[in-house]
Amino acid sequence: MVLSRRMATALMLGTALAGRGALAQSDRQARTLVVAVSSDPVGLEPAANRAEPVGSEIILNIFDTLVAWTPPAFKALEGRLATSWSISPDGRDFTFVLRPNVTFHDGTKLDAEAVKFSLERTRELNSYMKASFGLIREITVLGPLELRISLSEPMPVFLSLLAQPQAGIVSPAAVRKLGDGFGAAPVGTGPFRFRSRAADTNIVLDANTEYFRGAPKLQRILYRVIPDASTRRLELENGGVDICQQNGQLTSLPVEDIKAFRANPAIEVIEVSSQIIRQLEFNNNNPDSPVHDIRVRRAIAHAIDYDGLINGVLGGTAERVYGPLTSNSWAFEPAMREMAPNYDPARARALLAEAGHAPGSLSFKLYSFQGSLWGSVATFIQANLAAIGIKATVEQTEFPALRALHVAGRFDIALDGRQPWYNDPDAHITIGYLSSLANTAMSFRMPPDAELDALILKAQTTVDFEQRRALYQQVQRELAARVPAAYLFSNKIIVFKRANVKGLVVNSAPPLSEYWSVWKEAR
Amino acid sequence: MARYLAWRLAALLPVLALVLVIVFTLSRLIPGDPATTLLGPGATSAQIAALRAQLHLDEAPLLQFTAYLGGLAQGDLGRSLKSGAPVLEEILLRLPATLELSLLALLLALLAGIPIGVWSAVRANSGFDHAVRVVSLAGVSMPAFLFALLLQLVFGVWLGWLPVSGRASPFFLTEPVTGFAILDALLEGDGEAALDAFLHLLLPTTVLAAFLAATLGRFVRNAMLEVLGDDFVRTARAKGLREGAVVFRHALRNALLPALTIVGLKFAEMLGGAVLTETVFAWPGIGRYMFDAIRNRDYPVIQGTTLVFALIFLLTALLVDLLSAWLDPRLRRGMR
Repeated sequence: MVLSRRMATALMLGTALAGRGALAQSDRQARTLVVAVSSDPVGLEPAANRAEPVGSEIILNIFDTLVAWTPPAFKALEGRLATSWSISPDGRDFTFVLRPNVTFHDGTKLDAEAVKFSLERTRELNSYMKASFGLIREITVLGPLELRISLSEPMPVFLSLLAQPQAGIVSPAAVRKLGDGFGAAPVGTGPFRFRSRAADTNIVLDANTEYFRGAPKLQRILYRVIPDASTRRLELENGGVDICQQNGQLTSLPVEDIKAFRANPAIEVIEVSSQIIRQLEFNNNNPDSPVHDIRVRRAIAHAIDYDGLINGVLGGTAERVYGPLTSNSWAFEPAMREMAPNYDPARARALLAEAGHAPGSLSFKLYSFQGSLWGSVATFIQANLAAIGIKATVEQTEFPALRALHVAGRFDIALDGRQPWYNDPDAHITIGYLSSLANTAMSFRMPPDAELDALILKAQTTVDFEQRRALYQQVQRELAARVPAAYLFSNKIIVFKRANVKGLVVNSAPPLSEYWSVWKEAR
Repeated sequence: MARYLAWRLAALLPVLALVLVIVFTLSRLIPGDPATTLLGPGATSAQIAALRAQLHLDEAPLLQFTAYLGGLAQGDLGRSLKSGAPVLEEILLRLPATLELSLLALLLALLAGIPIGVWSAVRANSGFDHAVRVVSLAGVSMPAFLFALLLQLVFGVWLGWLPVSGRASPFFLTEPVTGFAILDALLEGDGEAALDAFLHLLLPTTVLAAFLAATLGRFVRNAMLEVLGDDFVRTARAKGLREGAVVFRHALRNALLPALTIVGLKFAEMLGGAVLTETVFAWPGIGRYMFDAIRNRDYPVIQGTTLVFALIFLLTALLVDLLSAWLDPRLRRGMR
């Protein structure tokens, strides 16, 4: 008894002291935004960034790019470090005029040389950007604030890539001074400057009061690394973190948690359409697989109750997707809404019979990622398939193992997803459907198709915007006829934030938030 | 004694070598490849092949292993495939957090487990004994993550007494010197930050200690009951010694010997539990680092962390043997 009383006293004393500390801290806290992230960033170095979400978001808050997508629609680009730009009629030369009087966090001036230095550095060092930045033939400095980027062939998507974290403009002076250590103390022109990083614990950014768009309203951003989803939820409910981002990952928070948050007045749930696509993929490259027969693929696509999946299993946290592009893409073909297979089990059974498969004669392993929500999606589809007489066994596999199976083509049907890392239809179409890339991890497995490949490459390189849109619409119709997958849903980007956090702009593709405009109201 | 110690330390090497071979083989047998994982779903096969070459993953496994051993001989554990940072540096950065947590948990388990075990034995079959039996059964059988969540909910959210997760309040930005949070705060002369770090330790320590404390309590109780029935205890009582002296000076000393072995073994098991506890409490230790590495197929990190865990395990076993010898003169003879 004595022991427990002592312990209780010690605990109470501790709490009281902590309470006093909390009062002293409250001023600091009011202007500090705490963001929960699920893992340590891989790096904060634009020249090494491989589109990993945590690092990419932090990079976009430390560095500026020449151009950026305009909120809230994110369908047009606006100037950031560039005030204006022009593109030559052949689509090869991009000329930029830079904003004057912009300084890096180390006090050095931004100029055309710095931009040239940064983009060339990414081209040299970042193997991830080899296919795109490798096309940069030459960067010519035309004046202190003017430069021209010349490509070896036309690439309309190039401007969009310049809005990516890999194209962040770094301080050449800092790179020369820090060498390999630049990633550990990155220096850009962005709204926040790097302060410190503790492994697996936090990353701290301080406001750049000299920022050219105006000083951020926040004093500090604190990224807290919290790997466990339920801990992130408790911390958000408790006020230990201000923002918790779903980052388009199904595994981040269970649907039940999202429902609980919606009912909590202290927390606001922001839901934004994304360009992420989740699908049931067919291995159409294996002639021995039953899914090589388009009738079987069609049957499976008609067997799935899309609305039931979205509203039931996913609790409305996703939207319908009709084909290889989401309906919010500028290149979306409206006719896809009618062309996409609808839920029609009778039709599915008829197609299977036509293909010569008696009910119960087909059985598949249905591969899926790990996590309870992926499990629920797989079970739902399993039931849908059972209803048309296909037996499916669900195999939930770790990401690396699933990728290995995928690349080797050792599957018939598998759940999979595509999250474009830049805002252009090219991000889904070229990597996904170019049959010459069919044996890579990213691509849908389809037989060689010279006609389709030619169309995709034409769409990729056509300079005129309207022509390009028409070409992508044609690609979508062509793909609908080939049924490379049953397109299941597009999950929304969901951001949970404390109700007193204001001014947040949620970017849709890629889903990386900028915190320049954010402030916290006194609680 | 010195010869015995040298011999035992030398015997560690073949064991560690065996551990290394097993881990090296196993990590390469798990399906999935680090380059694919690192590049994520957006990568083409050309990008993956380029990264594989950059990371030397395209070389023959035997060549990779000999290169790794060569580095190891010079104290180089390789570089993380994910971050590119030296593995040894990354481990040393995280080791204090794990040590802080596990040593405190050990202390807590000893402070709770031994008195409870003694008291249950002295008052065998009393209400206290029965209550302890139920609680320790719960302590042994409740999964750590559930217990952690329960504590977070009660003390973190409902009562608001203790922080839910983390190693320190993010608003205290102390510069790491030793890597031990409380010590660093005290070195900076910041009492508030030290208290804050201490409060952050309480919940994860409790979770980690619970299993050991419960096992230890049960074990000490049974050992004590056995010893209390021995002839020498009867003799001690017959001599007219006070009950306190009988229990603590005579019975407990003998009961603690087998308990020490259990503590040693369970401490190693507890380190395994640290992987989960560190993840749930966002604790930046090597358990979590290892867990992430396995998920990412970060081979050098998997190897490095396993090596460290194996080393801790083996050194703990050695320490237990030495302590047993110190406590029991009969064992000392065998060590000369």
